[in-house]
Amino acid sequence: MSTATATFVENIRGRIWRSFDRQLFLYVVLLIAFGLVLGYSANYGVSGTPGTLSQTVKTVIWTAIGITGFFVAASIDYHWLSTFTGPIYLAVLGLLALTMLIGTRLFGAQMSISVAGLDFQSSEIAKVLMIVVLASYLHRRRERIGRLSTIVGAGLVMVIPTFLVYRQPDLGTALVFVAMLVGMLFLSGASIGWMALFGGAAVALAPLAIGAMHAYQRQRLFCFLDPNADPQGACYQLLQALNAVGSGGLFGQGLTAGRQNQLGYLPVQSTDFIFTVAAEELGFVGCAILLGLFALLTWRIVSIAWHARDSFGMLIAVGLASMILFQVLVNVGMVTGIMPVTGIPLPFVTYGGSSLVSLLFGMGILESVRMHTEKPTF
Amino acid sequence: MADLNDGGGEFPRSRARFVALSVIAVLIFGALAGRLFQLQVLDGARYAARAVAIRTLEVALKSPRGLVFDREGRLLAANTPAWTLEATLADLPEDPSARAWVLFRASRVVGVDVSVLSERLQAFKGSPYELVPLLHGLSREAALMIGEMGDQLPGVTVVVEAVREYFDENGAVDGTLLSHLVGYTGRVDAAELADLAARGYLPDDVIGRDGVESSMESVLRGTYGRQLLERDASGRTVKVVKTLAEPIPGKNLMLTIDARMQRVATDSLLWGMQASGVKQGVTVVMNPQSGEILSMVSLPAYDNNKFAAGISRGEFAAYLADPGRPLRNHAISDIYPPGSTFKLVTGLAALEEGVTTTTQRWPTYGCYQIPDAPQGQCLYDWNHRGFGPLNLVEAFARSSDTFFYQMAIKLGLDRFGRWAQELGFGERTGINLPGEAKGIVISREWAQAQGRPDVFTGELAQAGIGQNVIAVTPLQLLNAYAALANGGKLLRPTVVRGEADDTGALVQPYTAEPIRILSASAADLQAIRIGAREVITTGHAYNIRDLRLPGALSGKTGTAEFGSAPSGDALPFHSWFVAWLPSAPGATDAQLEVLTFTYSAVARGNVSLEVVKYFLQQWYGLHQDLRLDPTDLSRVAAN
Repeated sequence: MSTATATFVENIRGRIWRSFDRQLFLYVVLLIAFGLVLGYSANYGVSGTPGTLSQTVKTVIWTAIGITGFFVAASIDYHWLSTFTGPIYLAVLGLLALTMLIGTRLFGAQMSISVAGLDFQSSEIAKVLMIVVLASYLHRRRERIGRLSTIVGAGLVMVIPTFLVYRQPDLGTALVFVAMLVGMLFLSGASIGWMALFGGAAVALAPLAIGAMHAYQRQRLFCFLDPNADPQGACYQLLQALNAVGSGGLFGQGLTAGRQNQLGYLPVQSTDFIFTVAAEELGFVGCAILLGLFALLTWRIVSIAWHARDSFGMLIAVGLASMILFQVLVNVGMVTGIMPVTGIPLPFVTYGGSSLVSLLFGMGILESVRMHTEKPTF
Repeated sequence: MADLNDGGGEFPRSRARFVALSVIAVLIFGALAGRLFQLQVLDGARYAARAVAIRTLEVALKSPRGLVFDREGRLLAANTPAWTLEATLADLPEDPSARAWVLFRASRVVGVDVSVLSERLQAFKGSPYELVPLLHGLSREAALMIGEMGDQLPGVTVVVEAVREYFDENGAVDGTLLSHLVGYTGRVDAAELADLAARGYLPDDVIGRDGVESSMESVLRGTYGRQLLERDASGRTVKVVKTLAEPIPGKNLMLTIDARMQRVATDSLLWGMQASGVKQGVTVVMNPQSGEILSMVSLPAYDNNKFAAGISRGEFAAYLADPGRPLRNHAISDIYPPGSTFKLVTGLAALEEGVTTTTQRWPTYGCYQIPDAPQGQCLYDWNHRGFGPLNLVEAFARSSDTFFYQMAIKLGLDRFGRWAQELGFGERTGINLPGEAKGIVISREWAQAQGRPDVFTGELAQAGIGQNVIAVTPLQLLNAYAALANGGKLLRPTVVRGEADDTGALVQPYTAEPIRILSASAADLQAIRIGAREVITTGHAYNIRDLRLPGALSGKTGTAEFGSAPSGDALPFHSWFVAWLPSAPGATDAQLEVLTFTYSAVARGNVSLEVVKYFLQQWYGLHQDLRLDPTDLSRVAAN
């Protein structure tokens, strides 16, 4: 880089951008690219309605918006966010409540699928925002972090959005909220004894929650224990996904050449199964690379958390790490038959505009945390 | 808390908890990678195989059905295109009223009620991308019209299939000349499919129903091929993965039948039946040296082209209601009392068992007193005056009933029955045509089934002249006389000469072993052949002797009373005539043997004799017409 250009960049970025985590950005971009390619393959040969944008083009546009959001978030001092966590919290609740009300009032049961699409997106935004809200809450209680009241308070902060998301119904996102709560509480230094007690209680109450589920949810949930229980019905998707994953072998059948994918045997219209396309077409090697990118990303986030200047920044990073780890575990676990079938997307890879934008926004905040690790030198 | 200590920043953070988080992350990625390794690398082949099994489908490739030729290479059965209206559920409009409108328009073009189409469609269970046959046998015009209306009839198509078409001796489309011999093809129904599916038959597949189409089904059908198709999740075929087996076309068959002779035999029989008012008749012509059937006419016949194209309910009902039973091949499927023609069995048995010699004379009577029966219980001869003393050859020539009563009684039930069996009665000839009957031969078992220990002597005597407890198929009788004509070989009659190429040339002849060599002596057979020659020359076959035929025509007449008299006087009669044409009297070199049977003549003449006479005149191109009016009692041959 020539001196002139370096000076120019420095002027635009400011000195603070020197500690910008390029690796984090690289892994995120690579994951989005992975998702773009897999999404292209999943829709390969499917001709859309003339005049509408293809999913690939839409993803590119969403990525542009998201990266803009990423740099906007990176360039603001994340501490600034903590000053209005109250309004953010209210906005999240309002957003979730509003989509629910509009959903039922305007469209009714008949349109529940398209409504579910909208709801799904509002919950994606809610996830990242709730990390900020919860991090802020725990940061403010850092002097009394070991007390029972911390756990109860954090639980109360999370319970309403979690419930609203659960009632949409979106069990998967509700579980992500719980995972975020547990991860952030744990790293914040909350009492392990009390957490264990609540955890034990939750496990004891799980059968009740399962009993309250819709029958179809329950059936899908337990397919992973015995996929052959209902091969034509609830477990059909899982069986086909397993066949596709297994068909991939070591090196895969090649992009756009996966027969299960291309012939419509995969439930790719629900893009939660996008990982099966990677598995079938790119094989174990491709899957390992994809998982490796997630591992590297997780490593970067945890590293940022470790080096964070204060517990607010650390907890934002831990919240994002918990969310991504949990989603990868459940999503990949689902298509490989070791986790129940729940509608949890694969971060950055599963197609979805609001998911991508809010994730990139979250990554931007993370960069801000990273860049504010060291005291600014003037 | 105890484990809080200084981290990298300015606030206390737990190294232990960060380590725990990292360990959890490593465990998660490790578990997922391990699971993927198991699924993809260790068990990959198993899952791949299962995926292939789910998305591929093996379908049959139909083989073209073999052609059928006559012995001169004339085409008798061929495959011609037929049009079937079919629909694909996925391509029909989803809206019920729009769908009903498409079906309605299609029904108007093909000329059926719309309910016929919609019922077929509703009965279909399967992939919405599969073609559902709605109506077979569209006219060419309707098929073209449906094709032109393509875009107005979404989801409705016309599919071309091969169906059978049957021809006569001149190559004209004619389904009546050979229907019982060639048969026809029809569609497999759901009940049959349960058994046939294992042999490769498909729903709505074609199968032979009668004649050689049925008996030679496996040869004509060939072997269907198999193809592996790949389908998408909705069931639509995407591509052919591979052809597992090419279809093997069915073999062409050459029949032993001469279609031109079949026409002559049919015309002769039709004339005789019309002249005498007879409703059912049979003429069978055979080569008595080989067992090859040259003609087999059973009237009335049905039109096999109607069946091949899909017969209407009305036409089928009309066939079933016809008292002449046109759907049955009377030559092999129905059994009748053979009358005097059965004297062959009685006579040969009497010679073989030493009951009489060829020269020993026996008294004959106007009415024969049954031994062991009360005085006055006698059996009449057709000639109520009797013939005086006769030897066997004379008795055969004149067809003396009372002579053969005595022979049958002297033989006894067992020896008589054994010789009937020896000559092939009471068992199927094994001809390669479906639906052959076994016939009935008098036996002790039969009597016991009637609740008596043994047959009555009178019954045995009547059996000796082919009445009462004797019933034969025309083919059995012809075949027994063939054994006489050829010097003692009971043949296996056949209608298939072998396999032919596409031009109708024989490429693979079939051979049939005789059923058995009769245990009769050549001299005894010769004596009866002489008697059969005398039937023509000195007996009562009347003027047939005057035909200028290239040989010494020999034969036997028969009439058989049956049933009960409609008005209390004369019983209806079946009449028989069987004849063969050796080079010289008693010779065993005949190449042609003909039998005619007419059912229930009320005219008391031998209609069958007149039919055979007419057949021989035409077949040998004789410039003679010696036919008599079968209703004119004064001049026709009796018995």
